[in-house]
This record gives sequence, C-alpha cells and structure tokens, in this order.
Amino acid sequence: MNNPNYRNLKLNAGLAVLVAALAFLSLLVGPAALSPRRVMAALLDGEGIPGIIVRDIRLPRTILAILIGGTFGLSGAALQGLLRNPLAEPALFGAPQAAAAGAALVIAFGLAGATSFAVPLAGIAGTMLAIGSLLAIAGRRASLTVTMLAGLALASFAGAMIALILNLAPNPHVALEIAFWLLGSLQDRSYEHVLIVIPFLIASWVTLGLTAGAFRALTLGEDAAASLGVDIHRTRQAVVVGVALGVGSAVAVAGAISFVGLVAPHLVRRAVGSDPARVMLPSALAGAALLVAADIVVRLVPGPVEIRLGVITALIGVPFFIAMILSERRLLEGNPS
Amino acid sequence: MTATAATLLLRADAVTVQLGGNAVVQGASLTLRAGELVALVGPNGAGKTTLMRALAGLLPASGTIEINGRPIEALKPLERARAIAYLPQGHVFHWPMNVAAVVALGRHPHADPFSRTAPTDREAVSRALKATATEAFAGRAVTTLSGGERARVALARALATEAPMLFADEPTASLDPRHQLVVMDLLRRSTRAGGAVLAILHDLTLAARFADRVLVMDGGRIVADGSPANALSPAQIAKVFGVDAISLDTGEGMVPIARHPL
Repeated sequence: MNNPNYRNLKLNAGLAVLVAALAFLSLLVGPAALSPRRVMAALLDGEGIPGIIVRDIRLPRTILAILIGGTFGLSGAALQGLLRNPLAEPALFGAPQAAAAGAALVIAFGLAGATSFAVPLAGIAGTMLAIGSLLAIAGRRASLTVTMLAGLALASFAGAMIALILNLAPNPHVALEIAFWLLGSLQDRSYEHVLIVIPFLIASWVTLGLTAGAFRALTLGEDAAASLGVDIHRTRQAVVVGVALGVGSAVAVAGAISFVGLVAPHLVRRAVGSDPARVMLPSALAGAALLVAADIVVRLVPGPVEIRLGVITALIGVPFFIAMILSERRLLEGNPS
Repeated sequence: MTATAATLLLRADAVTVQLGGNAVVQGASLTLRAGELVALVGPNGAGKTTLMRALAGLLPASGTIEINGRPIEALKPLERARAIAYLPQGHVFHWPMNVAAVVALGRHPHADPFSRTAPTDREAVSRALKATATEAFAGRAVTTLSGGERARVALARALATEAPMLFADEPTASLDPRHQLVVMDLLRRSTRAGGAVLAILHDLTLAARFADRVLVMDGGRIVADGSPANALSPAQIAKVFGVDAISLDTGEGMVPIARHPL
C-alpha cells in the first residue's frame, strides 16, 4: 500500500517541477528581449525597466496562469469524479459560458469596474446556475447522454445570453471589449486581478479537495457509495459550489478558457491507477502546466495581434475531445450509464 | 435452523416505502439474526430491491427499522455503513481501478480521516481477497476481469467492511452455474462467523439449497416467511410466481423446480 503513495508523491513532485520550469520560461517570454540572467536579477531586485517588465507585467500573468490552470484541472477532475465519466468538463456544461454571461452583464452595463469583486461574484453566480441546473436535469443516475444533452442546452443558453448582452450593450466600444475578453486572455493582468480571484480560488480548492474521498466510493455507483456512508447529496452540492467558485471567478478574470479540465485529468489518470481521488492533485498541477505552456505559446506566435489564450486551449482541446470520444466509443455505445 | 437465542441484528416492523406516489413496499415486517442466511424472493416488480434499500437506510421509509435495537434514523451514515454492507445489482465499477483498491473501498466506513490505511484495514482487505480467491488478480484493473471475477471482487468489497450484516441484491445474476455456487458458498461461509446475510435471489433452487429462511414478496408485501420447504412449497410458488412447480429430492434436501407457466 506504500508503493502507490510513493509513486503518487513522485508524480506530484515531477509535475510541480514542470510547473516551476514553465513558469520561469513564461517570465522570459515577451516583446522585450531579456536574458534569463537579467530576468532572474529583475525578479529578485525589481529594479529599473526589467524589474517592471518581469515583476509587474510577466509575473502576475504567470501567477494567474498557474492558479487558473490548476483550478480548471481540479474542477475537471472533480466533475469527472462526481459523474464517473472521463468526458466531463466544465466547458461542456456551459460553465465558462455562464460565468462569462454573468461577468459580461456586469461589465456591459457599467455596474462595476473590471477589477471589482462584483465581476467574479457575477461569474460565480452564473456558473453555479449552470452546474446546478445541469445536475438537476441530469438527475440521480446522471446518464452520459442526458448529462451531455443538458450541458449542450445550458451552453447554448449561456451563449444566447452573451449574444443578447452584446446586442444590447450600451456602446460599441464596450461590446468590442467584451468580445475580446470572451476569447480568454491573461494579457495585461495585474496583481489586482490576482487579489480579487485568489480568495474564491482557495475556497474552491478546499471545497473540492475535501470531497475527493467521496469520488473514490462513487466508482461503485451512487447506491453503493451511499451504503458506505458517503452523503451523495452533500457531495453534489460541494461539487457545484466548488466548481462555481473556481470556474466562475477564473473566467471573470481571464475570460472564457475551456478544455483544460478535460485534458489535464486524462493526462495523469493512468499514472494514478484511475483513482478518482488521487487524480485530483496531479490534475491540478497538469492543468497549471498546460495553461502556463499555452500562455507561452500565445506570446511566441508571431503576428500583429496576440492570439488569445482561450482560442489556443479550444484549438488544442477540441481535437483532443474528439480523440477521447473515439477511444471511449465502446463505452459510449455499449453502456449508456 | 434458526436459533432463537441468536442475537437479533435487525428488526423491521410495518415498513412502507412510497416511490413516485406508489406504495412499492407495504407493511413489510421481518427480522434478521446473527448466523442466518435469508433469501428474499419474488416476481419482478414485487418490491424486493426497494425493501432492501430501505432496510439499508438508502431510502426513506415509514414504519420501524431497528439495527441492534436502535432506530436506523438515529445512526450516523458511517455507523450505519459499519453495520450493513450493501452489494447492489450489477457489480458496477466505473473506473478501471485495480482490484485491491476497489476492495479497500469496503473499509471506507472505518476510515480514520487522519491516517488512510490502518493495519486493521489492510488485514480486512487481505482477508476479503483471500476469502473470494481474488488475490491472484489484486493488481489488475477491475474492468479487465470476466463477469465471474467481477462478481467475486464486488463481493470482496462488501466483505471487507466486515459488517455484521450483508445485503446482496441478486449476487448470482448473470453468473455461470459454477460461479453461482461459489458466490452462494461465500455468503454461506460469511454467516458462520456470526454475520447475517439477506440476499435477493431469482433462482428458487439456490434459495432453497442455501437459505436458512426464505421471505417471499408479492405486490409489495411479504406473503411468506419461513423455512425453504414451507415458503417455497409448490402451492406457494404457483400462487406467487404463476408457475407450476414440483419439489425434487436432491439427496441434500428438497428443491423446487419450476416447470411451466400457469
């Protein structure tokens, strides 16, 4: 029994090193060419122009990529654990779209500035509505087909709400701003952004982390898990709240970023023996690594305009999703629950 | 067979369960004593699974259900889980976890949140693996196993809890004859250590051969509760199942054989 624990520790340590290495790489990338040595020096003393570039422009962006990527990885793993389904992902259930609708509403009508707590709160409310409705519609048995169809419906509805907000936006400038923000980006984010999301993200991690044990019992189905003393109702509520806090606030700050929650758990699942509780931490670390890497790619692609982060994650995530559908086809066709 | 002196583990009185406005179980009363293997039989839709889930505390029910003399509602979920191990139909495993990890789930009710695997847990898991002869594939992913192997792993998971009561919903369904006997034998053996087993069975022959007592359900009610010879008499079988049956002597006792629908 010690062996898997040790293997898990090695996996997590390896992933943490990867995240750290990518984070340093992320500090090196940008329009101003700075050598690794100067970046290191600027990071430590914060002096001069390099100090401002590294500490105030590149560092908050990198921190947000780690925090948000980790949150998406964790949320994906939690939804998959609850629904016992490797294809679950917040974006397929309309969660980021709903968060974006909530946040866009607040921004479009000038109810609050982009860096006030109102934006993440609106994002959280939107996500909670989406995930809560999803679980309510999918019901106790949460069959794959019903879950996916409900997710499709909710994502479409959230999309329609966003379109309505853009449609009714008081001036075209605001509409354009929202449209850009919807594409998802970490460009020009500051410590203010870090500060407004971090309380919500920590609450999300704690909520989801404390629920992990229930996911393991759920591998036997809801009845067997309940008979083992797992409170199914509370588990579902914890996942709704945890995912809403995480995805809702993350989207409010970074815009709609999707598919990290699908890809990250899949990459590490085999290494943890498919244990839906053990997959949580490595999945969060893998999510962080993925988003930092994507945010590096975004800055390296040459062109007059920076490619948006949400565009990159979707461009990579959707083919990945299709590949997963193909590999899970037997399960999807044969075993509807 | 039933020793009246044996400890009363479960007493249910006038249990009624409403599902979607229908009384699926109506006024069911029964007892379960240490060392007993009780078969619950009845036609499809008789309310067997619903009654079992209610007795396991998984469904709200009216009436009285007492576990070791305490009303079931008074037990915390983990206390209840330590008293009753429940093996649902179908032997479901959603993730390809390895067999040892699946069987260890049976220790969840005993889990100490601060130390994951106590030595007692490890011992219980290895006892369950040994009893079900599943040690050989303890390291394999459960989804790669055959139906009979999965049934044994599912049973090992339930046995690992080492609860005084084991409720098994159709533990022999979709198993070949040999594995049906293996599973029934395992259930029989687990009662020798002082546990009680309540098993839903469709095979009346197995019920008659292995059970100390048979409960017959029909239309949500328990219509017979007695020895296999009484509860599964040809007359009773004709009335409840609508089949013509005869009793055959196997040399180890009488078993009912259903011949044709009435």
